[in-house]
Amino acid sequence: MKKCKKIPAVMLAGAALMGLFTTAVSAASGEEGNLQPEIVQRLYDNFVKDDRWKYLLEGLGNTALITFFAMIIGIVIGFMLAIIRVAHDKNGSVPVLNLIAKLYITIIRGTPVMIQLLIIYFVIFAAVDIDKVLVAIIAFGVNSAAYVSEVVRSGIMSIDNGQFEAGKSLGLGFPTIMIHIILPQAFKNILPALGNEFISLLKETSISGYIGLMDLTRGGDYIRSVTYEAFLPLIAVALIYLIIVVLLSAGVSWLERRLKKNER
Amino acid sequence: MSDNPAIANGEVLIRVENLCKSFGDHVVLNDISMEIRKGEVISVIGPSGCGKSTFIRSLNLLEEPTGGSIFFEGEDITERGVDIRKVREKIGMVFQQFNLFDNMTVKKNIMLAPSKLGVLTRPEAEKKAIELLEMVGLSDKADQYPAQLSGGQKQRVAIARSLAMNPDVMLFDEPTSALDPEMVGEVLNIMKELAKKGMTMVVVTHEMGFAREVSTRAIFIDEGNIQEDNTPEVVFTNPKNERLREFLKSVL
Ligand SMILES: Nc1ncnc2c1ncn2[C@@H]1O[C@H](COP(=O)(O)OP(=O)(O)O)[C@@H](O)[C@H]1O
Ligand SMILES: [Mg+2]
Repeated sequence: MKKCKKIPAVMLAGAALMGLFTTAVSAASGEEGNLQPEIVQRLYDNFVKDDRWKYLLEGLGNTALITFFAMIIGIVIGFMLAIIRVAHDKNGSVPVLNLIAKLYITIIRGTPVMIQLLIIYFVIFAAVDIDKVLVAIIAFGVNSAAYVSEVVRSGIMSIDNGQFEAGKSLGLGFPTIMIHIILPQAFKNILPALGNEFISLLKETSISGYIGLMDLTRGGDYIRSVTYEAFLPLIAVALIYLIIVVLLSAGVSWLERRLKKNER
Repeated sequence: MSDNPAIANGEVLIRVENLCKSFGDHVVLNDISMEIRKGEVISVIGPSGCGKSTFIRSLNLLEEPTGGSIFFEGEDITERGVDIRKVREKIGMVFQQFNLFDNMTVKKNIMLAPSKLGVLTRPEAEKKAIELLEMVGLSDKADQYPAQLSGGQKQRVAIARSLAMNPDVMLFDEPTSALDPEMVGEVLNIMKELAKKGMTMVVVTHEMGFAREVSTRAIFIDEGNIQEDNTPEVVFTNPKNERLREFLKSVL
């Protein structure tokens, strides 16, 4: 059922996007005079003239870069935070680390990601000459980690305590129990929630323009500012986000089905 | 309890001294002292909620005692600084709900602890797993996942998994209570065989037939303490404790 809904959505968005660009390109070669000349001219102005599509491409590249590496940072730090918190809740160990983890999660989840991005850029890295994309990766990674950790923690807590106890009764230590027994089972359960987190992350990166880097949103907005046309560049940007999101969630469902099949 | 005819002359494996356990204000175990000797098969009986699970789970510190000591092979395992994992390697435990690792095949379930703890190499662990599966009659299930097994099969795998560590004693907490009646026998038979081979066993059970037939000693827990501790013969046919008599009437 899900599959049936997604495929047309991505095709529709893709077709719309292709339509926008092919019309624009053919407008440039001046062949299709029978098309409505106004829209053709607008498409040409927004995407073809002065290679303006390159702003979208460069923006898309940065958006993908930021999302991908922030996701990795989010997963690594997020799992670490979750494991610290679970170790504390189950064994009473690592009280100091647990406190730090809780503080981290509270602060990150309690403040807007936009403010976090601005603080990291204008305060923390104020004195350093650092690539803006890297700043965005750090900011969104640090932000995502807090949400990932809560997803992972609830996933671990949803695994029956008997799995821990059986591991303990055999003499296994906490790390072995976690890595070989609990996390593989938890991962399967939290995959949809993790997928959602990364979809939000992708969309949240659209504020990266506030530190002056060219992401997909800023790319579209730049075109708008030179052509004084809002509709076409913004619709194009929206369609590109939509396609990525639909592909991402299709990938997550595919992984989900695969993991399920492997075990039962 | 030197006058207890049930207690064998073997070496003491576990000594429980003044064991107390409370959950908040709720006192569950109140000053239990007893010894478990090598080769004994001890049935633990008592009404639901009397603390049987809490007692047996205290023996490998899955429950942290709130008072008293537990000695395993002479060492007080409630002392600070004791590596409880090393102790647990020698104390097998079988749970009512099986608790097989759902993400692993049957064979991997059995191999995990001995191979990860460096007791056996992987090929040795695999060989051992195959032997143990043969022993519990499940050789053909080696590559299946727990979800594909019946309750009785799961519990037999769980027993094999514990045995893979070569424990000195096996704890069973109501191993057949979650099973459909027709599967109880297959699990009890494995336990009988283990007992025959001389395995030291502590079994919380409602299977009075098994307790009478297989165990060398039966313990009745009520009101936070051991109320009767004797041969199954005496406990089941000539009980002294009034509550035990009532309990037996209600379950037999
Ligand atoms: N983790 C726990 N927290 C609070 N109370 C508990 C906990 N575990 C057991 N108890 C209580 O201790 C008592 C004994 O429980 P248990 O040992 O499971 O009894 P049994 O196995 O004999 O049925 C019960 O009243 C139960 O509610
Ligand atoms: Mg119980």
